[in-house]
Amino acid sequence: MSAAPATLYDRIQAVAAEYPERRSAILPALRLAQAEHGGWLPPEAFREVAEALEVTPAYCHAVASFYDMFHLEPVGRHMVEVCTNVSCALVGAQQILETFERELGVHAGETTPDGEVTLRTVECYGGCGWGTVVAVDHRYREPVRPEDVPGIVRELRHGA
Amino acid sequence: MGLRALLLEHADARDLTQLAEYEAVGGYASLRKALGMERQAVLDELLAANVRGRGGAGFPMGRKASFLPKPDETTKPIYLVVNADESEPGTFKDRELMLRVPHTFVEGIVIAGYTIGASQAFVYVRGEYLTEYEVLVAALEEAREAGYVGPDVLGSGWGLTIVVHRGAGAYICGEETGLLESLEGSRGQPRTKPPFPAVSGLYASPTLINNVETLATVPKIVEMGGEAYARIGVENSAGTRVFSLSGNVVRGGNYELELGTTLRELIYDIGGGIPDGRELKAIIPGGSSVPILTAAEVDTPLDFDAMAEAGTMLGSGAVIVIDDRCCTVQLGLRVAQFYMHESCGKCTPCREGTRWMVQLLRKIEDGEATQGELDVLLDVCDRILGNCLCPLGDAAAMPIASYVAKFRDEHQRHIDEGGCPFGGESSLDGVVAPVDQHHAHMRGQIEVPTHA
Amino acid sequence: MSAPELVTVTVDDQELQVPKGQGMVETALAAGIEIPVFCYEPRLGPPVGACRMCLCEVEGLPKLQAACTLTAQDGLVLRTARTSEKAAEGQDAILEFILLNHPLDCPDCDKGGECPLQDLTFRFGPGSTRMQFPKRTFDKPIPISPLIALDRERCILCYRCTRFSETVAEDGQLVAVNRGAQSVIATFQDEPYRAHFSGNVLELCPVGALTSTTYRFRARPWEIQNVPTVCGLCPVGCNVWATTREGKVARILSRNHPDVHEGWLCDKGRFAHEHVRAPDRIRTPLLRVRRRGFEEVSEDDALDAAAEGLRAAEGSVVVAFSGAETVEQAAALARVARKALGSHSALLPDDWDPGLDAFRAPLSAIRDAEVCLVVGDDPVVERAPIVDLWLRSARRAGSEVVTLNPGGSVPVAPGTAAQVCASLREGGKRVPKELRATSERLREAKRVALVWSQDDETGGRHVGALANELHEGGGADVAVYVLPRAPNGRGVAAAWHAAGEGDAKPAEEGEIGALVVSGDEAASDPRVRELAGRARFVLTTAMFQSEVTAWSHVVLPGTSYLERDGTFVNLEGRPQRVRRAVAPPGPDELEWLSRLGERLGLDIAPWAAPGTAEQAELPPADEFAWSQPDPQVSAGKSAGPGLELVRFRPLFSGAAVERVPQLAFQRPAPEVELAWDDAQTRGIAAGETVAVSSNGTSRELRARLNRRLRTGVVRIADEHAEGFEDRVQVAKADA
Repeated sequence: MSAAPATLYDRIQAVAAEYPERRSAILPALRLAQAEHGGWLPPEAFREVAEALEVTPAYCHAVASFYDMFHLEPVGRHMVEVCTNVSCALVGAQQILETFERELGVHAGETTPDGEVTLRTVECYGGCGWGTVVAVDHRYREPVRPEDVPGIVRELRHGA
Repeated sequence: MGLRALLLEHADARDLTQLAEYEAVGGYASLRKALGMERQAVLDELLAANVRGRGGAGFPMGRKASFLPKPDETTKPIYLVVNADESEPGTFKDRELMLRVPHTFVEGIVIAGYTIGASQAFVYVRGEYLTEYEVLVAALEEAREAGYVGPDVLGSGWGLTIVVHRGAGAYICGEETGLLESLEGSRGQPRTKPPFPAVSGLYASPTLINNVETLATVPKIVEMGGEAYARIGVENSAGTRVFSLSGNVVRGGNYELELGTTLRELIYDIGGGIPDGRELKAIIPGGSSVPILTAAEVDTPLDFDAMAEAGTMLGSGAVIVIDDRCCTVQLGLRVAQFYMHESCGKCTPCREGTRWMVQLLRKIEDGEATQGELDVLLDVCDRILGNCLCPLGDAAAMPIASYVAKFRDEHQRHIDEGGCPFGGESSLDGVVAPVDQHHAHMRGQIEVPTHA
Repeated sequence: MSAPELVTVTVDDQELQVPKGQGMVETALAAGIEIPVFCYEPRLGPPVGACRMCLCEVEGLPKLQAACTLTAQDGLVLRTARTSEKAAEGQDAILEFILLNHPLDCPDCDKGGECPLQDLTFRFGPGSTRMQFPKRTFDKPIPISPLIALDRERCILCYRCTRFSETVAEDGQLVAVNRGAQSVIATFQDEPYRAHFSGNVLELCPVGALTSTTYRFRARPWEIQNVPTVCGLCPVGCNVWATTREGKVARILSRNHPDVHEGWLCDKGRFAHEHVRAPDRIRTPLLRVRRRGFEEVSEDDALDAAAEGLRAAEGSVVVAFSGAETVEQAAALARVARKALGSHSALLPDDWDPGLDAFRAPLSAIRDAEVCLVVGDDPVVERAPIVDLWLRSARRAGSEVVTLNPGGSVPVAPGTAAQVCASLREGGKRVPKELRATSERLREAKRVALVWSQDDETGGRHVGALANELHEGGGADVAVYVLPRAPNGRGVAAAWHAAGEGDAKPAEEGEIGALVVSGDEAASDPRVRELAGRARFVLTTAMFQSEVTAWSHVVLPGTSYLERDGTFVNLEGRPQRVRRAVAPPGPDELEWLSRLGERLGLDIAPWAAPGTAEQAELPPADEFAWSQPDPQVSAGKSAGPGLELVRFRPLFSGAAVERVPQLAFQRPAPEVELAWDDAQTRGIAAGETVAVSSNGTSRELRARLNRRLRTGVVRIADEHAEGFEDRVQVAKADA
């Protein structure tokens, strides 16, 4: 019937219907809102999720800020996440990180000035046997070696 | 002892993500068998199998299920919650199971759901596991279409719906009550126990919570019978486990072993030993939360009791191999940073203690600590241990205390020599942890290569 | 109810017989053993075991246990820090962790001297720290609201305040953000914590992290006196301590009456006390002098003029009550009117059907009800705020709370409260479809709480009749709570009726000999203003100037409830003692009346007789005496074009609130609440400015959309609805 794409409000209602209690849908709802807002959660996003789930924006913020995958600051169009936990660190994660930092010109935790790529370090991503694990736009690359890094950066910058 | 594929049987030869392939090797036969049995009879098989939880705590699965009220003893719904929030550093076996044998996992969920009389199951999948989530959802869809999951499982009149719920990046949600809080839409801070989830879990209803690997074991137990399954492995540690091998080892990866196999077999015979001609220095045998073993303890068997005897734990089955390039103060610092980052902030000793540990370890590593501060570090560990709301505080304190105990000389040298004896050559030197990320720019200007 | 099973537990070698399931912190305390706690606060719901201060040793368990999470079970053997070295070490460890980043700025911290952290550190603490690193610091203080300041570095993250916000007030505004050591308490985007009960977090905070902006740096605990009294600002009658310093009220703290308010206060009760010191208070008697306006006169001159004006009325006297008088004061005034002046005409803020006394019950009984039915258009929280907390508490305890109003769980049409009660009373097939489920639930339930929150002249008779039917017909235990408009509306009405017979309402038109206006609430009532316009003589007692004082001939300075002694009867029918916390600037009302009585030949004691106990019990319910089994049902409001306006008197309004600048942010925003469908058909989005008009009055208000509000209804607070009639037009404002 409805030809227009579902609004965020309606999509959240659909997810919430899967749970016995609607509040359970807060993580999927925040994830939908984050996708809608360019990969991060501005205050407006919290207001939208709050309205849809009948909670307060403060509550949404409290929940989102507990989890590492929600971003409360703007992020780049692409995300590069380097695992630096023990298993990856033992096999050279720091060299991988430094190579990314050089190639991108930013430190871990920063976004390139053109807004293209955010680089950050993360805790264990569960690819320890094939370190160093790097997640590029949430897809794992394992293992990544220093010589792979320029290619990954080129791919992000120029679309492969 | 050694390699033995039960969960991953046929997974090398076939694409078991496809339902037809899985059915071709007898998939879902255990479910049919279970549905033909009384609920109690299935539970009896699980009890007889004596299978201990594969998530980390090692609690016997059958007993845990037996704590739940029977469907006719409660007016509340009974829930099955699957802990697929694998995030213990060094652990990546649940991920492998979800990617390669998702139907085995789904079959285990349905059998467990039937056993406890649940009509709804929730699978809490680690948020970062995106591909795994997609594979699992696809397998579930196939299983639904084939009638293995849904309102009337295989015409039995009993139904089970399964909701796959993605986490969003918080280690603490792997703790069962933290997971429940998160699933209910709150911050994932653990709850005080009692009440235990078997009595009051998800939405204050009776809830069974099991790990992926534990549930993936269930079809095999039903197929073989509990007693036959219990004969695999060693006493008190029945069956196989998928061990995650990582760190300074030639062939890292997941290996399904009969319990009781020694660390030496895993690291040297299966994993190919230490690369680059280095020496084995230490082994973390069960994920970063457990006390460390030295190279001299490499003959310890991988079973629950033997590990306990060696003063450590089998944990999540994550074996991290550490060679002689690693400074154990840096190791402690990096491990402490992880727990500081992941502490939920609810209880005082964990929240404050992990941060203090990081401060002290940083000072020791930098060669600025006094002798007294090394003692304070041990005392902080001691004061966290056993005093926290959930196991995370212990998980931080136990390994750090063990690094100091087993590598005391190395720690002492940092104080005596006013710096790290590795002189910048340790394999963990300068590693940037997420808690340090916002200080990363203090490492200086970046030189951008010209080709960029 | 059967007596609870007793079990034997042992605490520090003392064997104790206690009810099974009783909390171990309470159990130990009853035996004289203190188990220190920070996060534990039973009023906030189940224990959370977060701070770990209460670690104790339990026989048979290897680890120390958080005693706050333990309940008495037979055979439990508990050892506190007094007899267990392990427990002592554990508590020592926890205090060291808690103090790790806590600044020891006790000398200039407001909490110092009445600080649980300071006290427990003294009793249980390590005495020194081994922390060598710089303590954490933050910008400070952070305004949580104009009323509350946060010194973030003092916070020990016990989560009491956030638990209050989430699970008691359920306002969801004060939250913990971030994780682990980064966790902090915050509001969304640093917006003010704007909620009716925000001030309770000040008393919950066990350290000096949350302090009151109105008390900060004002007094030290050893220079103050706390006077036990009762709040006189709404009909709940919360028990309070008035903290005084140098003869002035410095703050209000709660004094927990478990049956009345469980220790919670609303922000009006907590913060409005500053009006007592308002610079524009009337401090001297005023006499109207031709052409010169008012002149300050002596007390005796004012009283002489008042007596003369009243006598000259020759019995044509109307008394307008505020409902904020004490019972003693109302009785004295009633005697002046009825005995000395022979007049029986009064304007009472509330009336009462005596039959309701049969269903009298403590407010705490709401929590035990299976079904709570709330009838009436007035938001409960605006009228009797604590009742809202009891209803929330009931819902959390598993009670079904049904609200019948245009924005309620069953969105009935405005003004239909009486009809709703009547059809629920009749039951069966005549119940409209939307009420059928409610009707069935009511008839099944064994314990029912009925709350009447409608402004009309019936004194709750309709809900009484429903109660009667459920009790007589269905055998249910029924409690009825009628929410009066005025704080002592019940007591004042009773005092008036007791003083004479032949009640008369003021005549609709024509001249009145004299009008007596008693208090500021009466003085701000539009009906009283109208009466003043046709009175030959007006005598007003008030704290502040108003349109009515401008019409008056004699104005006597009034006092606040904080300056009087006497009795208030709350909405439960509980008589409670109000105490003079500070002296008024001159005589109080009772003394004025005594001296006026002298001039009129009436003997009135100038003080209230010593009355009720410190924390009053509810008098026993009367024998069943239902007086009006079949009340007349008034029709709902009429239909017509436009949207139907429901107005309400906000809690944060009135003379006292207007004089506290820090409360200004709590006053209702210039908003119109619109139903979702009505907004859609008019193309109005949330937050947009809309034009609301009625009968030639037009006003721009911000649209607030409510998906639950009944279509065709708008809600506006009184102060933004002035001049509107019952139906309004709403349209997008011109860009």
